[in-house]
Amino acid sequence: MGNYYNYTHFRTANSLRMIKKKITIKNSSGLHARPSATLVKTASKFSSDFFIHFYGYKVNGKSILGVMTLAAEHGSELELEFDGSDEKEAMKTITELIENKFGLKDE
Amino acid sequence: MSETESVDHKTISGISANSGIAVGNIVCIDNKRRKVLPKSISETEIDFHLKNFKEGRTTLITELSGMLDYLDAQSGSIIETQKQIILDAEVEKRVESLIQDHLFSSDYAVYKTFCDFIERLKESGSELFQQRIVDLENLRDRFIDVICDDKKSFSIEKGTILVTKELSPTELVSLHANGLSGLVMEKGGITSHAALIAQSLEIPCIVSAKNATSKAFNVKGILDGREGILILDPEKEILDKYKIKLEKLKKTQRRLLKNINEPSLTKSGTEFFLSANIEFESELGQLAKYNAKSIGLLRTEGLLFSNKIGFEDQVRFYESVLSATEGSVTFRLFDVGGDKLNAKIPEEANPFLGWRGIRMLLDEKDLLETQLKALLICAGKNKGRVKILIPMVSVEEEIFELKKVIATLQKDLSGSGYKIDKEIALGAMIEVPSAALNAENLARHLDFMSIGTNDLTQYTMAVDRGNEKICSLYQQQHPSLWKLIKITAEASLKTNTEIAVCGELAGNVLGACGLVGLGIRNLSMIPNAIPRIKEELISHDDSELKELAESFLAASNTTQIKEIFEDWRVH
Repeated sequence: MGNYYNYTHFRTANSLRMIKKKITIKNSSGLHARPSATLVKTASKFSSDFFIHFYGYKVNGKSILGVMTLAAEHGSELELEFDGSDEKEAMKTITELIENKFGLKDE
Repeated sequence: MSETESVDHKTISGISANSGIAVGNIVCIDNKRRKVLPKSISETEIDFHLKNFKEGRTTLITELSGMLDYLDAQSGSIIETQKQIILDAEVEKRVESLIQDHLFSSDYAVYKTFCDFIERLKESGSELFQQRIVDLENLRDRFIDVICDDKKSFSIEKGTILVTKELSPTELVSLHANGLSGLVMEKGGITSHAALIAQSLEIPCIVSAKNATSKAFNVKGILDGREGILILDPEKEILDKYKIKLEKLKKTQRRLLKNINEPSLTKSGTEFFLSANIEFESELGQLAKYNAKSIGLLRTEGLLFSNKIGFEDQVRFYESVLSATEGSVTFRLFDVGGDKLNAKIPEEANPFLGWRGIRMLLDEKDLLETQLKALLICAGKNKGRVKILIPMVSVEEEIFELKKVIATLQKDLSGSGYKIDKEIALGAMIEVPSAALNAENLARHLDFMSIGTNDLTQYTMAVDRGNEKICSLYQQQHPSLWKLIKITAEASLKTNTEIAVCGELAGNVLGACGLVGLGIRNLSMIPNAIPRIKEELISHDDSELKELAESFLAASNTTQIKEIFEDWRVH
């Protein structure tokens, strides 16, 4: 599991701190509509900005269309980026959500 | 149907959900993919287009929320996701930028934004995600319809026959107000909500018409509700034939309507009472048309679905219903499953055997007390005319508990200076086999009982009426049902408790004759069934009807019962 975790802390040009983390999608059907909906709903509870990097795309993690269009399937490795006052808590919650396969019973 | 075989390519067939004939122009909502061309706007128009986008979004959300009320939890979660897409922050950002920075019109801005996302999804090449594209395209097109105030799917010319995939009850009600003459749906069974409303609004209706939207086009058509067919662009002879049929139908209607003002007496002079089942205010006009003196079943779930469960909203609705008739109104308390109350309530494995009707109401005290308070106040103003009906009673304790709640509320209201009706009638739906079998004991605590044959059939036959695979087992006329009804009727006689039937069986000629034969004199039905039922009942004497009911009880299956009825009727 440790391999998938890669905390990176660095400073952006305007001195705002952001945190990043790599994670793998574990539920067999990938980030389809329902997991996307859950992910976005959860992310929207936090004030921090949340972006997902995948295959050179960067999408807003609080946008369900953005997340869906990533078409991330089982085994896809995403990079999550959080930026804001509650970024640590946001990262913890989102990570758990993905680890727990969005609380869906896996098919 | 052999006469229509030669024109098969021009005929769409499905299952008859409501008889009747409609001749009119066909409008087909075929969900064709839309194309919107870029339109430039001037800087002064920016605000207008931004507002247009936001208002369209609100309308769409309201529309989706309305649909939610008629859906099960699974379909509900799909709608929830659609709502999330409509409110998507990224969509908002892009649309606003296209309007503000690129000076595009709001409809194109939405079109472009969705198309970009759809394009990306297509590029992904993932099988699973390809299925979502259709959903997104539908949502995009509906969004643009709303923004353009393109009401073409909702406003129609008088006499139109609509062919569509499916229709929500609210859409159907509003289309009816605009003069819809017939409805063909690809989806839905004969007991789907839209079909039931079509029956109540007297719109000829066909359901389960496979691929209808891809076969139909905008020409003149004939909808034969009884046969379950829609004939496209009919030849003159067929058209003439149907015009004669239609004329005959109207004549029969007129004859039946003439009967309406005659006394409701069997040939032996026994009086019977035909009342109306009502759900929407738009149906109230039918009371006078069919001379229904009272409302035997007022469904109140419409309030829940349109989120009008506040005290004032309820009082307004109940008063409006009471003022539409001089007779009594039987108000059935909210009869829904818990999932309809709150999306957070988890889906049950067996919702029809679950937390619903009185079981749910006794737990949701606020909901129950607000409804009872509204009803009790209306009852105080209309003494003797308000009757309260408890849904889904399975044990007598439920009646005791509800009585306690009513007594407390009556005392409080009286203490606050409200007039109350101390004699307010309380009844129970007999729709669970345990209630029918135990009717004599229940009746001792009640002023009336009302047999709901639809649910009683469902629970007796252990069949979900909505399940296409087994719906042929959904037999309201099965001997087992007649036996349960007989037990209930005897209980009513023994305890001197009023009895009524408010299910579909009461509005069916066979059913009504059998029920009156069992001594049940109060039948409540969709208003347009009243003339037919009355005509049948006034043409038989009591001993004939009794004999019929006895042979129903002796039969061993539904086919036999139908044959017995046909033989009996010919005599």
